[in-house]
Amino acid sequence: MTILDVRGISRRFGGLQALSDVTFSVPKGQIVGLIGPNGAGKTTFFSTLCGLIKPDSGAIALDGTSIVGQKPHKVASLGMTKTFQNVALFAESSVLDNVLTAGLLRHDVETARERALVCLDRVGLKSVAHKMAGNLSFPERARVELARALCTDPKVLLLDEVMAALNPVEMQEIMDLIRQLRDDGITLLVVEHHMRAIMAICDRILVLNFGRLLADGTPHEVANDPVVVEAYLGRSAEGHA
Amino acid sequence: MKRWIAIAVIVLIAAAVPQFLSPTGYWIRVFTFTLLFAAMAQAWNLIGGLANQLSLGHAAFFGIGAYTSTILLLKFGISPWIGMFAAGALGGLAALIIAIPTMRLQGHYFALATLAFGEVARVIANVWTPLTGGPGGLSVPFVPPSFTAYSFKQLLPHAYIALVALIIVTVIFEVIRRGAMGYRLRAIRENAAAAEVIGIDTTKVKLQTAVISGVLTAMLGTLFAQVAVFFDPDTAFSAASISIRVALIAIIGGVGTAAGPILGAFFIVPIEELMNDLFSSGAAGLSQLIFGVILIVVILWRPRGLVTIFEALRARLQGKGAQS
Repeated sequence: MTILDVRGISRRFGGLQALSDVTFSVPKGQIVGLIGPNGAGKTTFFSTLCGLIKPDSGAIALDGTSIVGQKPHKVASLGMTKTFQNVALFAESSVLDNVLTAGLLRHDVETARERALVCLDRVGLKSVAHKMAGNLSFPERARVELARALCTDPKVLLLDEVMAALNPVEMQEIMDLIRQLRDDGITLLVVEHHMRAIMAICDRILVLNFGRLLADGTPHEVANDPVVVEAYLGRSAEGHA
Repeated sequence: MKRWIAIAVIVLIAAAVPQFLSPTGYWIRVFTFTLLFAAMAQAWNLIGGLANQLSLGHAAFFGIGAYTSTILLLKFGISPWIGMFAAGALGGLAALIIAIPTMRLQGHYFALATLAFGEVARVIANVWTPLTGGPGGLSVPFVPPSFTAYSFKQLLPHAYIALVALIIVTVIFEVIRRGAMGYRLRAIRENAAAAEVIGIDTTKVKLQTAVISGVLTAMLGTLFAQVAVFFDPDTAFSAASISIRVALIAIIGGVGTAAGPILGAFFIVPIEELMNDLFSSGAAGLSQLIFGVILIVVILWRPRGLVTIFEALRARLQGKGAQS
């Protein structure tokens, strides 16, 4: 069953074609990695999916409902939300209040508080629930982002580099969590620079380069695709010769 | 529990104060206006404190409130108690009309735009003579004193009505601040894009807040009209003595807290009156000058408002408790 269907999404910023005719669809319950060199359009793509950026053309359907041109809050209530790569927490609120506020999308304050504590527990941050969000370390803040997104009860969750700057133990915990979320029925799109993590958790990988979808396949297929290798490493030695 | 006892004591003291003031005197009038301005600053605090949008146009809603109930009383003999709700409805509508175009503006731009709207309202009230009486102003007609007619021989009932109004507005403020809407407003204030992405309809929440603030301010305009008895467009729609003063009271007291506007009003309104009382016989403008100097000193001393005195005091007490 297709949960997310993207058809021909394009977006231009001035002279830069940030996204160019991106098309793919994701069945429910997959972990899909989104990789590509810096500036490939990964974050723009996530922002377009959740409604922060309007595409110039193309169609996006979430669980059968068209969401192009909908505001982000509407997309969130239909079941898709994202984390922010550069972390966009409510810095002067407590960690708990950050996550609780997301729970208000579907619950009253008391239920949202209980849900928020469950979400914080899942990312391993229950012990800092009453700290001010702005006082946490960067990796902790990225995990609060994850907990906050989770607390909206999403069907599709877009994770933008939540593993940045984590140590190997923490990274393993987050990878386990992402698999658990998939097993809970959540579909995940994951942007991550850490290749080993991406290869390990993803059922499938999309490669973006200059806003264009370059490859779409299993981790094994993508890793052995000469076009992908070229985009990442430049032309091969034979090519130069 | 301690908190509730403290609140009950403060309310009881406030209720007792008018009993000790001369019922026909000057200070009961000051006390009543202090309570009214505290309530207005509290209504402003929804926008200025929770949404963090510095409105300098609240005189628009206030003036609409004063004029609506008084015109209904003059032309149709409708009791101001009922006129107050008509005032609230029109004030809310005006807030909605102003909020739709200004909501997207941030900081200085929002302040300037709302200031302009307030001035527009004042100009309209000045020129729409058939309805408002124009620059000549309106007198609230005399009706035989009774509670249902909102007409009293003395100021004492007005003081209690103002106290009840302040309590109601403060309760509304606290319920909003602690509830789902308070969480949403804080989220919007701290990161609007993130607030949207986690499902907050930022446009709707901002409009709701503006409308509630406008409704309350307009209803307080009716209370003002009943106490003032006479007013003209330049008083009821005044940028300086209504819009800016209300913002100033909340800011001096402590923006975003329930206690802030109350502290601010009980500081600013009586001191301003006292300065006028003491220095108005001296050189022209002397009282305003001294008042201005006092404000500057207080802002330098407590940039986050007078409420921080109590926070510092509490921290010190708890620190001592922990040591012993």
